[in-house]
Amino acid sequence: MNEASPRLHRKLKFAGCLIMLGLLIEATTLYWSQPLSFLGFIGIGGFLVTAGIAVYLLSIVDE
Amino acid sequence: MLENLAFAIIIILGLMLIGLLVIRPALTTARGGKILAFIAFFILPIAATGFGTRIHLEHSKSTQFCLSCHVMEPYGKSLYVDDAAYVPASHFQNNRIPREKACFTCHTDYTMFGDLNAKMRGLSHLYIYYVKGAPPKLTLYEPYKNRECLHCHANARSFEERSPHKEMRDQLINNEMSCLACHSTNHNVEQLDKARMWKGPNA
Repeated sequence: MNEASPRLHRKLKFAGCLIMLGLLIEATTLYWSQPLSFLGFIGIGGFLVTAGIAVYLLSIVDE
Repeated sequence: MLENLAFAIIIILGLMLIGLLVIRPALTTARGGKILAFIAFFILPIAATGFGTRIHLEHSKSTQFCLSCHVMEPYGKSLYVDDAAYVPASHFQNNRIPREKACFTCHTDYTMFGDLNAKMRGLSHLYIYYVKGAPPKLTLYEPYKNRECLHCHANARSFEERSPHKEMRDQLINNEMSCLACHSTNHNVEQLDKARMWKGPNA
């Protein structure tokens, strides 16, 4: 049970990459005080973070 | 300011932890690694998004934010008209409202859900601006309510004791008579070309 599968590791890496990319986009959008930056924050950054969290949760549930 | 610092710390911590777990996913085999992964993949990203949303909402109250849409430029320019009869301009130039939140101060409904309503309308403005296209003439959703003026002026001596406010206080409070009935010179963007402009506080 303690031996995590390579598949889980792959999914965790994928989730991590999505979340990191999302967080970087979220942080970048805060440099501008414009409506489009808010859309970028929610629409792209928020989407990637949510997708990453979903991949992470699904991977640990599957495991 | 505190939110910005918290956001920065969460982002840096999150990126470091996630980076570590992406490089060495085997760390998640142990119990401590599982907890670390939960914090890095779940708690920190949600916290970062929450703080970021709050910072963006604060940004959206700024005058700079409103004026970033070019249809609002004349309204921003009207704040610099050198004529005390222009109500928004005199409020802006004399620091009766915070200059950095000038639009938001007078154009938010001061009700329980005023802020939320303003944000929802802001989102619909985004759709209209970028998808449908802004209308040639901008109008308010509903007639300007006295509540937005009385939020500051009610209980002020200049309002409570000075004529004719004193005599028509109840009518004004109950919105039976609009403040704009007398204070009718507002943004008047159609006449900006003829107006003399204030050069700003550092001129």
